[in-house]
Amino acid sequence: MTTVDGAFTEIVQSYLSAAANEMKATLVRTSFNPVIYEVLDFGISVYDDKLDLIAEAPGLTFFLGANDYAVRRVLDYYGRENLKEGDVLISNYPYWNGAHAADATLMAPVFDEHGKLFSVMLIRAHWMDLGAKDPGYVLDSTDMHQEGLVFPGTKVFSDGKPVQEIIELIKFNSRMPEHVLGDLNAQVAALRTGERRLHEILKKFGRADLEAAIAAIQTHGETMTAEALKSLPKGSWSAEDILDDDGIGDNPVPMKVTVTITDDDFTIDFDGSSGAAKGPINMPFGATQAICKTVFKSLTTPHHVSNAGQMRALKVKAEEGTLFHAKYPAPTYTLWTGIVALELVFKAIAKAIPDRLAASSGGDVPGFMMIGTHPDTGQMFAISNNEACGWGASPDHDGASGLLHLSEAIVRTTPLEVMETKTTMLMERVELTPDSGGAGTHRGGAGVTRVIRFLDDGEFLTVVKKTKSPPWALNGGVQPAANRVTLFPGTDRERDVSTQRTPVKAGDRIRVMSAGGGGHGDPAGRSREAIAADIAEGYVTLAAAKRDYGYEPDA
Amino acid sequence: MSTDYRIAVDIGGTFVDAVELDMATGAFRFEKAPTTPAAPAEGVLDAVGRLRESLSDVSMFIHGTTLGLNAVLERRGAKTGIITNDGFRDIFLVGRGNVPDAHMYDFQYQRPESLVPRRRIAGVVGRLDYKGREITPLDEDGVREAARLLVQDHGVEAIAVAYLFSFRNPAHEQRSAEIIRAMYPQVKVSVSSDITREHREYERTSTTVLDAYIRPIFERYIDELRAALSTRDFEGRFAIMRSGGGAMSAQAAKTSPTQTVLSGPAGGLVGGALIAEILERPDLVTFDVGGTSLDVCLIEGAVPQIAHEAALENLPLLIPTYDIRTIGAGGGSIAAMEAGLLKVGPRSASAVPGPICYRRGGTEPTVTDAALVLGYMDPESFLGGRMTLDADGAREGIEAQIAGPLGLDATQAAARIYDVMVAKNIGAVRQLTVERGRDPADFSLLAFGGAGPLIAPLVAREMGLAECIVPLLPSGFSAWGMLGADIVDDFAQTDLTVLGQGDLSTVADKFAQMEAEAAASLEAQGVGAGDALMERQLELRYLGQEHALTLTVGATLDEADLTARFADAHRALYGHAMESPVQVLTTRVRGIGRTRKPTMVKADAPATSPAMPAPTATRPAYCFARREMVDFAVYARDTLPAFAAFHGPALVDEGTSVTVIHSDQAVEVNAYGHLVITQEGDAA
Repeated sequence: MTTVDGAFTEIVQSYLSAAANEMKATLVRTSFNPVIYEVLDFGISVYDDKLDLIAEAPGLTFFLGANDYAVRRVLDYYGRENLKEGDVLISNYPYWNGAHAADATLMAPVFDEHGKLFSVMLIRAHWMDLGAKDPGYVLDSTDMHQEGLVFPGTKVFSDGKPVQEIIELIKFNSRMPEHVLGDLNAQVAALRTGERRLHEILKKFGRADLEAAIAAIQTHGETMTAEALKSLPKGSWSAEDILDDDGIGDNPVPMKVTVTITDDDFTIDFDGSSGAAKGPINMPFGATQAICKTVFKSLTTPHHVSNAGQMRALKVKAEEGTLFHAKYPAPTYTLWTGIVALELVFKAIAKAIPDRLAASSGGDVPGFMMIGTHPDTGQMFAISNNEACGWGASPDHDGASGLLHLSEAIVRTTPLEVMETKTTMLMERVELTPDSGGAGTHRGGAGVTRVIRFLDDGEFLTVVKKTKSPPWALNGGVQPAANRVTLFPGTDRERDVSTQRTPVKAGDRIRVMSAGGGGHGDPAGRSREAIAADIAEGYVTLAAAKRDYGYEPDA
Repeated sequence: MSTDYRIAVDIGGTFVDAVELDMATGAFRFEKAPTTPAAPAEGVLDAVGRLRESLSDVSMFIHGTTLGLNAVLERRGAKTGIITNDGFRDIFLVGRGNVPDAHMYDFQYQRPESLVPRRRIAGVVGRLDYKGREITPLDEDGVREAARLLVQDHGVEAIAVAYLFSFRNPAHEQRSAEIIRAMYPQVKVSVSSDITREHREYERTSTTVLDAYIRPIFERYIDELRAALSTRDFEGRFAIMRSGGGAMSAQAAKTSPTQTVLSGPAGGLVGGALIAEILERPDLVTFDVGGTSLDVCLIEGAVPQIAHEAALENLPLLIPTYDIRTIGAGGGSIAAMEAGLLKVGPRSASAVPGPICYRRGGTEPTVTDAALVLGYMDPESFLGGRMTLDADGAREGIEAQIAGPLGLDATQAAARIYDVMVAKNIGAVRQLTVERGRDPADFSLLAFGGAGPLIAPLVAREMGLAECIVPLLPSGFSAWGMLGADIVDDFAQTDLTVLGQGDLSTVADKFAQMEAEAAASLEAQGVGAGDALMERQLELRYLGQEHALTLTVGATLDEADLTARFADAHRALYGHAMESPVQVLTTRVRGIGRTRKPTMVKADAPATSPAMPAPTATRPAYCFARREMVDFAVYARDTLPAFAAFHGPALVDEGTSVTVIHSDQAVEVNAYGHLVITQEGDAA
């Protein structure tokens, strides 16, 4: 290759993306943890020596965005100059890592043939247990130290070999050491794949030409974003919502965002939101940036592979020590705040471009987990599932029914046959909920009703943070009912909860209902045929059709 | 000795390829006819008719078709209903709740229109637990009511029956099917436990629905084709290619059409495996470039990689399928500038409007246009002269849309289009090898498809691969490969026994039972007992892991031996083994009915190197070793004798495809007539 031009840049981009995807292939195949291989709860990012993103593999959007923040903060602490070939660092310190302590980020440097730093690669993955106060998930911590063992940025592999003391520290601090060390191995194997690949790329293209191409990739990203920004109106728009509670008390927690679009910048400011919460709903600032990146990318360059250039116009503001910028020792375990806040940012932007955006989805990822002992093996299990919800109606079509929330749309639900085999739950019903999508010219997608019967004792965790405010609608569409989690329905113990750790006995039941999406446009604008079809398909009952659309069936 | 021929037919997007093999001499002939999407059998008969009038000497007719796939893509399948468990009506519609990776930032994603609308999905009371034990008995009246609703109210032609945990215990499904068949004998009933005994309810339901949806059209097509073949005196064995290797009798395919939905490209893998074996090149990457896409697959140890789950338009299919990966980079892929970057694909000009040079209204330059500008194709002799290409149009398109913005001339710009395309191809090949934990440098490239030989030698060069092999008739290679297919049937059951904790005799029982089923299936397909071969495989994993490794096992099962072999395989693939217990995920039996292998014509090595024929022409074309236009010698492929050896720059033209050999590459024609291209000196 002789010239650095638009073709060379595209070629380099192909090679870098392929390297990230090869890392993903290695991770997925070697991981030990269903949250990685089934739920795809990981993020793989590759940075240049300036720590600007140059490639990533498809994964959890929030994880990818947080990586950008973590690589800088962790290396500020560790010192870039201290990195050596064959090292792997581990970090899960929430305020630097941009996530809760269960997300372990492993990073490794890549050097060129002169021993000069060329790249840093990051793989973030959710680990099953690092010795937090409770197994599975922590719902009510009041400081970071209840959330598990913490590494600030610690060498776990040195010169290509495991640092035995650190491995043992992890092993003896985890309730599920096999799983955790299996994941650690998988992450390291994936980093090694990336390292080999980047070395080959360096050798093939040479550092000088690569750097020129990488600069062109970033410029291209900036250009594409600037083009997209031109089509957005300029001004400032605010929106507010609440989180159900902070995990400790029952009071709703206020959130506010203001989005300001100018010719050059897109600023998202969380001023006006709650101060630091007592419970674990605080957002590390890296996590806050990650949700903003997800929104911004979907608006500007949804179909392009990611790079740092695409994000240069984005500014994120949240005062340190508040809900959206957690400060030590604020607890941060339940990061559902970010999921709800994603829709909040869209809610503000929708005021500017209601004819281009969809209404709110169900608004949250209603997650649940069961912890217990399996009768066949006598072993402890902790199996989770992220429930699908309805997506908001779009300006030109109905919302999709039963999809994972926007923030993790490529994640898959756990198959019932896997869940029932590995736990002591029996599903009595898992079905779309009639009338759960908001009415409108275009209807919101339907949410899911799941009824679980427990065959043995254990603990059931629900993580839902949006049961008290309904998903928002657009342009005169109707707001659907909010998420609803009901313990022991039909008994005298029946009550609705959001985020809760509940002891369950054999024979108990719990019902989880995820919300549908908001409607888009006046219901009066919906065609009679569309309403009749909704009734025939069972998405809308006749009674609701009469109520929401004034529909009368043919005599 | 009486004459004995085999004919294989592969339907592609644009052409039907038909190959005829003389079983006695190994000689073969090749014909093409246009694809006739509205009535696929017509194109098949047209192509076969060009080979021979009477089919009375044809002992076997093997067919690869994407009919089922097309029926799904075009929503032309049967009106289908689903009967599932009460309370679980949406398993098929919701699936796993995910959007495809490519849409991860598309927050207004819409699912494709469902094959089965919700109104045609009915729930019936009855439930099994994870061990297959009955929790709630089947409500037989509920089955009757559901069937009545689907057939009488909604007029369905086919019903898919899929219940939770039927892979553990098929009783409820079987009883339901009995009831429905008794009520409505005209309705086709597809039962999940008949089709796949694997866990995961959505994947199993989707497989069953696809079966139900495709089956009626597939049956009609097979019957129509069989009737048409018999009017031409065909009395031999009629077989359909399977997606995961081998063929099945047309009769068996009618009851199990999902086995065939991805059978079009499968012939190339069967042919690839045969070449791997006879050339003693056990590790190959097949590189099949057509009009819109590149298909790549890995052959390791002369065995093509199999995936146990495929997808049709994002709908999962639990059917063993060759693990073919497709990327949107084919001859028709469009080159375009986007904010200073040169993008090639995934947009494709397809057959219509096609590349600019086809003169069918295409205005955007494609890879094919670049190949023409680079001098690889003779505009006058494309497809043996049946079509003249518009070289000026191609050049002007590239000049205006690519060369201008890049500040290059048209030739250099066309070379850049190739560079970008090649980088994407390399990414696809690498991904395959990395997933297997292998170094791509260990593999040879096997190039076929109309455009494969135009690009593959360059890809091999860029990747530093030892060699690139171009078989005879690369554009008809998939059809050729079908000629060597065995009769195969696969059986699988999810097991979940943990080694050291359970009783392996249950695994042995499963093997025995599946082998009995396989033997019966092969016998029904006309395979003699002496030609039947059983292959037992175990999919094993560490307890807790999802992904499993497949081991081929013998008649006796030893836990310690299995554990050790699994650890070795795990170490080889992933670099580490673990101390966790090993679990049997799936037991698999493949019944193989060996058919007589076609004779491959192998020349004897002459005492001295044969004389090279004179080139038919000399033509300026672009050499990627020197990055400039140089004179390429042009050879007609059929004039090249076995054991001939020559150096690039050279073009080998065989009418339907051209092999491009750059100036730092050497070619040897091997004993079978394949071109074997190797690197001389350092590749760039």
